[in-house]
Amino acid sequence: MTDGTQHRQASQSVVCHLLSAVSLRLLPSLLALLGALIVSGVIIVVAGHSPWLALTAVIDGAFGSLDSLSEVAVKTCPLLLTGLAIAVAFQAGVWNIGAEGQLLIGALAMAALGTHGATLPAWLGLGFDLVAAAFCGAAWAGIAGQLKLRRNVNEVISTIMLNFIALAVISYLVQGPLMEAGGRYPQTDPILAGLWLPRLLPPHRLHAGVVIALVMAAGVQVLLYRTVAGYEMRAAGANPQAARLAGFDVGGRLLLALMLSGGLAGLAGGIEVSAVTRRLYEHFSPGWGFTAIAVGLLGRLSPAGVVLAAFFFGALDAGSNAMQRVAGVSSVLVSIIQATVILFLVTLERIQWLRPAPPSGE
Amino acid sequence: MTPTAGPPTAGLPKAGLSVRGVSKRFGSVQALAGVDLDFRAGEIHAILGENGAGKSTLMHVLNGVLRPDGGTLLLDGRPVSFTSSRAARNAGIGMVHQHFTLVEALTVAENLALSLPGPASWRFDARAVAARARALASRIGLDLSPPEARVCDLPVGARQRLEIIKALAGAGRVLILDEPTAVLTPQEVAQLFAMLRALRAEKRLVIFITHKLREVAAIADRVTIMRRGRVVDTRSVDTVSESQMAELMVGEVTGAPPRAPHAASAGEPALEALHLLARDVRGLPALVDVSFVVRAGEIFGVAGVDGNGQRELFEVLVGLLPPDGGTVAVGGHPLPAFTPAAAHAAGIGHIPPDRHREGLALSMSVAENFLLSRTMLDRCSHHGVLQWSVARRVAAELARQYAIDYAGLDAPVRSLSGGNQQRIIVARELAHQPRVLVTVNPTRGLDVHAARAVADALVAVARKGCAIILISTDLDEVLDLSDRISVIARGRLSAPLAPPLDAERLGLLMAGAGERQQTTDNRRQTPHDT
Repeated sequence: MTDGTQHRQASQSVVCHLLSAVSLRLLPSLLALLGALIVSGVIIVVAGHSPWLALTAVIDGAFGSLDSLSEVAVKTCPLLLTGLAIAVAFQAGVWNIGAEGQLLIGALAMAALGTHGATLPAWLGLGFDLVAAAFCGAAWAGIAGQLKLRRNVNEVISTIMLNFIALAVISYLVQGPLMEAGGRYPQTDPILAGLWLPRLLPPHRLHAGVVIALVMAAGVQVLLYRTVAGYEMRAAGANPQAARLAGFDVGGRLLLALMLSGGLAGLAGGIEVSAVTRRLYEHFSPGWGFTAIAVGLLGRLSPAGVVLAAFFFGALDAGSNAMQRVAGVSSVLVSIIQATVILFLVTLERIQWLRPAPPSGE
Repeated sequence: MTPTAGPPTAGLPKAGLSVRGVSKRFGSVQALAGVDLDFRAGEIHAILGENGAGKSTLMHVLNGVLRPDGGTLLLDGRPVSFTSSRAARNAGIGMVHQHFTLVEALTVAENLALSLPGPASWRFDARAVAARARALASRIGLDLSPPEARVCDLPVGARQRLEIIKALAGAGRVLILDEPTAVLTPQEVAQLFAMLRALRAEKRLVIFITHKLREVAAIADRVTIMRRGRVVDTRSVDTVSESQMAELMVGEVTGAPPRAPHAASAGEPALEALHLLARDVRGLPALVDVSFVVRAGEIFGVAGVDGNGQRELFEVLVGLLPPDGGTVAVGGHPLPAFTPAAAHAAGIGHIPPDRHREGLALSMSVAENFLLSRTMLDRCSHHGVLQWSVARRVAAELARQYAIDYAGLDAPVRSLSGGNQQRIIVARELAHQPRVLVTVNPTRGLDVHAARAVADALVAVARKGCAIILISTDLDEVLDLSDRISVIARGRLSAPLAPPLDAERLGLLMAGAGERQQTTDNRRQTPHDT
């Protein structure tokens, strides 16, 4: 046998191994999706509509034209960034339920700087403002992180509470200090045109923020799996006691993971203001930071998985309007699908045969 | 056997228990393959076998925890099948599990109340329950921990004593004990054995799972040896010698090769601990003026019953628990801080007592678990970037060197057997020749082969100049491996003794006798003098 055939056989077995590993990793997500779709189908039937019509309407609404595809990408962008935020935090064992609040603070930073900021060259100003949005999101998450490190406050509770505070702060600001000059609606002035993220295929709304989000996905992948800090974060999440004994700074890694998570969520808010809404208003987010938990779990907390899951939810979101129009099914169904996906996933987590084989003999 | 009419047995029917063709499979592992066994009422029947021989699986079938794939159980000649351990207990079969089944958040008395017979009342009378618990414990003859103490605050040994009391509270006719002596003092083992004999005299059946040959000879009437899910043989204990039992159990001669004595003169002092004081999680003194010195190339054994300060000694040495007082110096330099990072930097490696809780990240891969130490991680990275090619090469090399059996470097470490998991920890910690190795019960729960491999690795690294502190509740392990031995009892460390040692004297020290004498010994033999 020549070296060449040996090499080919080896690479074939590697490919097989990878495929089986990938399919085993994807299996729970696919099952959860299937379950959620069946449940929603039943609900549609009970409501007296045709599930088949609804499904085709969603697909057509999401992928029917270049414009609808562009809309899917636009809807995917904030879900992708917040989904990554969830992945980073959860992998490190920090249960950040506050991506919503961190996103809002990021959006606030972008809107405040965009309407009141110093005059910089446009590209520099845009970059500076996006970085500032990420920093503010990180700082907001850092509050929960410091509470956890110094006072052992459960981050689930503190991040949820910080969501309400962020909502209240924005509500106050858009009705007070930051209210638009006209003073009619609870919203800020539009940000300067120079701070708009460029559109990639005008007149479609597809914007450069989608590219930033994909770059961030790659960055998170590298961080988690190729760097010492990422390894330490994952080890701290998998077994904090073992990580501490290994000599890792577990507290510091938890704080870093939480602040990175907040930074990604803040960036999502900043991009949304800069590229889509161009101003901040009350009820700015339709709950991206919460849907992000479904996205992160469905994507099995891996960056590639989060990209797929965010795309799925983005398409669902974009297609749901068509579903409402064509099939008469309320777009609220999307929320039901998201919720059932989470319920199915956490249930499937408990099923033995979907998990790696237990150690024998013990 | 016929039931005798003596007063103690009145009303106790004969409890003969038979197993016919019982088999059980877990995935690809045939845990039990057609087991036939007869237990007689009024005997103490030992089940002997290595880890994974099927002892525990068989007992869980008898106890109703597991349902067999095939075969039948006969109690007094009638076929029975249990759907739960409660059903088995109702039928008279009680079991002390190897892993604790106590409610940690409840007190000792409350835990006992859960299994105390008697009419249930809506009112919980703590004082009455405590009194009954004390009466039960004194009937059994084991020390009861304070009834109002929470189980989560009890040391392992006390928890196991409570387990035994609990199982005996409900046991009617058959009592199954799964390695109950692992953490008891020799005196307490003697008490337990006396109690088992009393149970036997009352024509109850006692089934005793163990892998300690000495215990079989000391307590059992008959012994059944199991290997790989099958019964190898059932013998009367007086007709079989310990070495014959060992041979049947392992399937080969186990005559341990005598370890060559270490270099008589050990090297320079590698680790010196002076006047260590520490408190446990409850804030009670756990280490009281502990001083010792370990030299390069020697194995220093710390024997003792679990819960006497071993945990705190380990935590202080690896930097998890800052002591209230005292110093630790490595190579003559005091540790700058009591943190795991400082301990790593000083060259202190460790094999933690609980590999799942603090040694491994079970959800991570084999390769990733090899990186779970500051030293390894630093060697396999460059400017903060992981060098996976280096890490994988090191992992594969260590796996080969330590004969670790694994599906692949990317397989989750959860899928490995306990012995292979422990070998990963040992390989990882010994890979870069630590100056000092702190190890706690390094072979607990491992089968004979894996335990031998770990022990050999410890001896080998000591030969190369590592100072090893072997904290173990397995007296045989300490005696077998150590150059010098101190006994820890109630947070005090005895003066070091050199083998050969008198097991009885060790037992007395472990029970905390000779505490007074010990303190004077310590004064006479401070680390600087040795």
